[in-house]
Amino acid sequence: MVAVADTVSLELDDIQSGALHERPSPYVGTYVLLRIDDRASGRELVRRLHPVVDSGRPSADPARDAWVTVAFTYQGLKALGVPRDSLESFAPEFREGMAARAAELGDVGESSPANWETPLGSPDVHVALAALSPDAPRLEAVVERARRARQELPGVEVIWRQDCYQLPTGRTSFGFKDGIGQPAVEGTGISGSNPGEPPIKAGEFILGYPDETGSLPPMPTPGVLGRNGTYIVFRKLHTRVAAYRRYLREKAATREEEALLGAKMVGRWQSGAPLALCSESDDPELGADPHRNNDFVYRDDLRGFKCPAGAHARRANPRDALDEDGSVNVRLHRMIRRGTSYGPMLPEGVLEDDGADRGIIFVFAGAHPKRQFEFVKTQWLNDGIFIGAPAEKDPLVGPNDGSGKFTIPQRPVRRRLQNVPPFVVTRGGEYCFVPGLRALRWLAELET
Amino acid sequence: MAASETTTARPGVSVGPTSEFSLFFHVKPGHGDDLREALRTLQNHPGYRPGEYGMAVATIHEARFVLFDDDTRLLFATSFDGPWDSYMEDFFTSGPTLALFDAVFQHVEGYEGLPDVAAVKAFVLSAQATAAAYARNYGGTVKEIRKAERVNKAFQRVLDDPAAGEGLQHPALKPLLDEASD
Ligand code: HEM
Repeated sequence: MVAVADTVSLELDDIQSGALHERPSPYVGTYVLLRIDDRASGRELVRRLHPVVDSGRPSADPARDAWVTVAFTYQGLKALGVPRDSLESFAPEFREGMAARAAELGDVGESSPANWETPLGSPDVHVALAALSPDAPRLEAVVERARRARQELPGVEVIWRQDCYQLPTGRTSFGFKDGIGQPAVEGTGISGSNPGEPPIKAGEFILGYPDETGSLPPMPTPGVLGRNGTYIVFRKLHTRVAAYRRYLREKAATREEEALLGAKMVGRWQSGAPLALCSESDDPELGADPHRNNDFVYRDDLRGFKCPAGAHARRANPRDALDEDGSVNVRLHRMIRRGTSYGPMLPEGVLEDDGADRGIIFVFAGAHPKRQFEFVKTQWLNDGIFIGAPAEKDPLVGPNDGSGKFTIPQRPVRRRLQNVPPFVVTRGGEYCFVPGLRALRWLAELET
Repeated sequence: MAASETTTARPGVSVGPTSEFSLFFHVKPGHGDDLREALRTLQNHPGYRPGEYGMAVATIHEARFVLFDDDTRLLFATSFDGPWDSYMEDFFTSGPTLALFDAVFQHVEGYEGLPDVAAVKAFVLSAQATAAAYARNYGGTVKEIRKAERVNKAFQRVLDDPAAGEGLQHPALKPLLDEASD
């Protein structure tokens, strides 16, 4: 069932490039949130942002690029005066907003919206801007362009700014290379890194095209507003790196064992080398090789001796591991991830918390916030029913409460980690809509 | 095309990891016999014959199709590991369930064939009724129960060995020894 790429003709010139764009590596970036106090100023902002936003087929050489993505929350669309029937045509989760979904998503206790960073989760968040670039001077240049767009607009207020970056190694705060596993998207020319996964239908990621069910995803109306748009979900996730390192130290007798336990929790070694391809020790060359580091399936390891079924990456994308269940179509639960790091890295070897805020800004892009992002988060990361381990959550990013378990299959006797504490705390986030370029113009020209 | 995600799903009642799922259909006039025949065919399918335990969907505990009211109505009732409403699109886009449902549901009213997943989903949701009471006698998922069966089978084989009594004396095996005497 190999789908042929480019069977669908995508209007790439109308799609903001942020969603489909492969990033330069390394890069620096910044996220800005804005509140619209005055409808006319809001529309003027959109008008001025229009030429700042990039579209089109991602440049062949991503390192030459710098770009801005603009997204709106439900409250933001309301503030711009989008008519009611149009507002009601958006995905229910988007309309509710992330704070309202907290109980469902496992954002409870320390991660609950009551403890989120201001203004995240509040109705003040209207517009989200992301600017990314290979280096600081080019970032400043794009940020400056975006800044000029909101100059002398008294009705538009900057309410949050978060700088972010990706290290040249691609590693994030727990020490692991991230951003490797991504789906290929039909019609974009972006080739997938996993030859075992035929390209996913464009409609799984961009609105207005058939998706994996063969239907058009529910699309906001009017068509000019919905078409070529995509939903993004962003979450600021604080990582407790010192606690994580201490936990591994406590459970392991040697540094090698520490590295192994860490790899078992993620499904990859720190270098990015997948356990499915090298289960004994890290292979940095494999981790660094984009042609090989995502070329694997789990068919030959259903019991998880190489990569535990409960490992983060295997939960988040079980590939063919659930094919025998007859009830899961993994292609309906894929996502484009555009996460970045924030905060300083905790220096290697340090086991005491230095009080710094560090982690990742998790970014999801897809056409189905519910059956992609929410499904993966609630059924696969926060729960273990699907692997026959209802008592286990994702050992790295799941909402563990200190009583978490994590089973590591091995011969002769499986190992089970007990009392897994929470290593990730949600600081806030939101569901956003990234309109196409024509839709941006439509928003700017609203006359309600 | 119908907007699949705006259809309001009404999840069944859950007990532990498992949720109940019941669908009530009206049989197309004159299709009672054909439907009975289709269900007989299903029953004779490898995996569905009594004692075979190999249904295409491995995450349901059991399934029954009940014709009632003189074969004018059909009940489909099952217990599913996980919230079934989260898996609706999965069912209707993955092979085994598709063929099975098509063979049976072509005989009930409101079913117009498979191609449009959103329509099939709406059709199924319109037939779903949530249980007023639901109880279970064990907490495990199908995966856990199958594992437990394998483990018990292995344990019984151990006990069949004359050396088992001696072997189970090690303090680490105390919980097994406690289960060994009957
Ligand atoms: C602080 C939180 C998180 C950290 C530190 C983290 C880290 C990682 C790492 C190290 C990998 C392996 C590298 C790769 O395949 O790219 C990975 C993969 C992945 N993660 Fe996360 N992650 C986090 C949260 C999440 C969340 C919330 C989701 C989804 C709701 C998610 C979805 C995925 C997916 C889909 C993959 C790719 C799996 C594959 O294709 O094999 N992650 N993550």
